[in-house]
Amino acid sequence: MTYVVLEACIKCKYMDCVEVCPVDCFYAGENMLVIHPEECIDCGVCEPECPVDAIVPDSDARCTPDWVKLNDQYSRVWPNITYKGTPPSDADQWDGVEGKLAEFSPNPHRE
Amino acid sequence: MSQTEPLRPRIGPGVHVGVTEPMIREVVHAFYSRVRADEALGPIFEREIEGEWDAHLAKLCDFWSSVLLMTGRFKGTPMVVHARLTEIGGDHFARWLGLFRQTAEELCPPPAAALFVARSQMIAQSLQLGIAVSRGEVPEFSP
Repeated sequence: MTYVVLEACIKCKYMDCVEVCPVDCFYAGENMLVIHPEECIDCGVCEPECPVDAIVPDSDARCTPDWVKLNDQYSRVWPNITYKGTPPSDADQWDGVEGKLAEFSPNPHRE
Repeated sequence: MSQTEPLRPRIGPGVHVGVTEPMIREVVHAFYSRVRADEALGPIFEREIEGEWDAHLAKLCDFWSSVLLMTGRFKGTPMVVHARLTEIGGDHFARWLGLFRQTAEELCPPPAAALFVARSQMIAQSLQLGIAVSRGEVPEFSP
């Protein structure tokens, strides 16, 4: 029913996905994006657009209940994002790093 | 947050199977002609789109362009729009999908038609689930 953003987004946050999403269902935290499960229409456009493969359908084995819950929870409190901003300056260094959940920030996105 | 630079060109999934803007336009226009003539779907669409068919067709061309060619032209909230239509159910979606498949298969080469159909089915399933959630018929999510 929805696509879900996983750990790989944390501290990478390239935001290419938000530009191609036809329904503007991305919400932005300080160092990660999430997808609103009730706004996503499963069109699949965002998935190949993510440079770090952080977006998967909720049917994907990597999409555990914790990630479904995190997307659902924070999409209701973070601001909607519709245009790509500037990724973190050290985004490339965090690409592929394991255990990034420890770096997750619950704070909302700020310019 | 504002758009600072134009959307960079992207290669959407439709490019590899020969989907073009004229093809999308042809499918969308032919499809909605059939929808309008359908005894179950026609009255609902005529009521909802009344007097604004040109704008609706342009919007749907933008939608499919965004989905298949990744042009980013469509921005909208289809879940909200469909969720407020209280009378639509599984049979409406099945008819819609049947007409869409028929149209795509008649007008497009098989690989392009298959992509149209696959995406239409994913999106329809998602909209149906979203509608069910909004009606309180299923839990919001069930991890």
